[in-house]
Amino acid sequence: MAVMIQVSELHHSSEDGIKVLEDVHLRVEQGELAYLVGQASSGKSLLLGLLGTHVPPQRGQILVHGRNVVRLSPTRLLDLRRRIGFLPQGAVPMPRTVQDNLMFKLRTLGNYPEQAEEKAILALESTGLIRQQGTDALELSSLDRVRLGVALAICDDPLLLLIDEPFEGLDPSERDEVCDLLERIHTGHPTILVATRGPLPEAVRSDHRVVTLSDGAVTGI
Amino acid sequence: MSTFLYVFRELLGAIRARSALSFLLTGLLLFLFLAAVGTFFLIVPSNAAREGGSAAAPLEALHVGLSPRLSSASIDGLYLEIREREDVKRIEFRFAQELDPEATGGLFAIEPAAAIAADDLAELTLYLGSLNGVTDIVEVRASAEANASPLPLAARIGLLLVIVLAAAGSFWSARRGYRELLQTFAGEIRTMRLSGTAERTLFSLLMAFGVLVGLLAGLMLLVVLTLLHYVAAAQATPSAWIEGLRSGGRVFGVSLGNLFLGLLLGALVGLLGTSLIHSREFDPLP
Repeated sequence: MAVMIQVSELHHSSEDGIKVLEDVHLRVEQGELAYLVGQASSGKSLLLGLLGTHVPPQRGQILVHGRNVVRLSPTRLLDLRRRIGFLPQGAVPMPRTVQDNLMFKLRTLGNYPEQAEEKAILALESTGLIRQQGTDALELSSLDRVRLGVALAICDDPLLLLIDEPFEGLDPSERDEVCDLLERIHTGHPTILVATRGPLPEAVRSDHRVVTLSDGAVTGI
Repeated sequence: MSTFLYVFRELLGAIRARSALSFLLTGLLLFLFLAAVGTFFLIVPSNAAREGGSAAAPLEALHVGLSPRLSSASIDGLYLEIREREDVKRIEFRFAQELDPEATGGLFAIEPAAAIAADDLAELTLYLGSLNGVTDIVEVRASAEANASPLPLAARIGLLLVIVLAAAGSFWSARRGYRELLQTFAGEIRTMRLSGTAERTLFSLLMAFGVLVGLLAGLMLLVVLTLLHYVAAAQATPSAWIEGLRSGGRVFGVSLGNLFLGLLLGALVGLLGTSLIHSREFDPLP
């Protein structure tokens, strides 16, 4: 099976010299849905930021879809970033309708209006938000905001989905709904890495890999 | 519609009342700046006025040309004779080549007594002309250019102050406007950065907005100057200070120059806006 993410000997320190990631090794296969579990401040969000090319690496190697993030030129780094769907922790939608949120992202990525509309509708259908397409995104419930975040992440057919803390602020039944959503998305989108504080919702299938991050190092796979 | 135009339209759509007011103030202050700069170029007398002013300029000296055949004793005699006159303040001998390399002989540079009346000057000139060995008499007057601007010094200082204050004020209000606009557009900026939009696209968007404000200020001045030109041209007896406005070529030149200056200032305003997007609130990750 091809490798989507390959991280080796990754070290990262904060601006004030505190080690956040220490000798991290991680491998995620293409088509895999994996969970990255760890306590608060264990370095999950930073690792996702590094994989999503939003944080420049300090030491170590990061390969995403066969491209070495450390050695990519700024232009190629942007090209790669466009192929990665990213849902940051606590993402706030733009103050416009649900569909316009998607349309904005798709249009800024160079999609023509008709093409953007088609992709937006498809993403809204996949995430179960089609009925709320005309709703002001700021009026959405917490669960629907996660759905919108996922829709935004998948709308331009990414190779890789990086989702940070999708279960935060949700009750157990809503967490299970998000799990179901991720399962549905996974059938159409090959690779998904979900970072969460844990414990994992009951709906998470046991055949998915769970990677544990503790004090900046991978302690369990 | 290209991606850039789409995002630019969205950026314009994010303008709210407060940011609109700030940008309106920016545009008006830029207009004031350009108008003050334009005044320096337009409030100058026309050629006709300048020629008329030349005759009225104060007399500095009379240059009395001497024949090259005159002996030094004769020149000394003439010098002493002229110096004795009450209407002569100072007399000085000069070689004609000092003033004109082609000329020969010498000349007397005579400074008449202060506040000499026109009749007295005519009499002095007549007297000098009657002297033996005098070839010609030239009146040397103060430069017309030195007294060309009808604007008093206080008005010129005032205009300079307006220029400085308008520039500073426009940058201040532009910064306010951009801060408010970017706060409204923060979600979009984060989304763009998250999805891989190049920083230069964001940079160009804010620059383009600044240039648009500068362009509008320049165009507004062009319209106002054109209207003033037609008003000035229609006046039968215009006052001296609107002479510049009556010249279509001058008004067009100043308007065009100010349009470019407006674009330049707008670009600077845009640059100010781009300096604000490096704030952490526009980072895509918390």
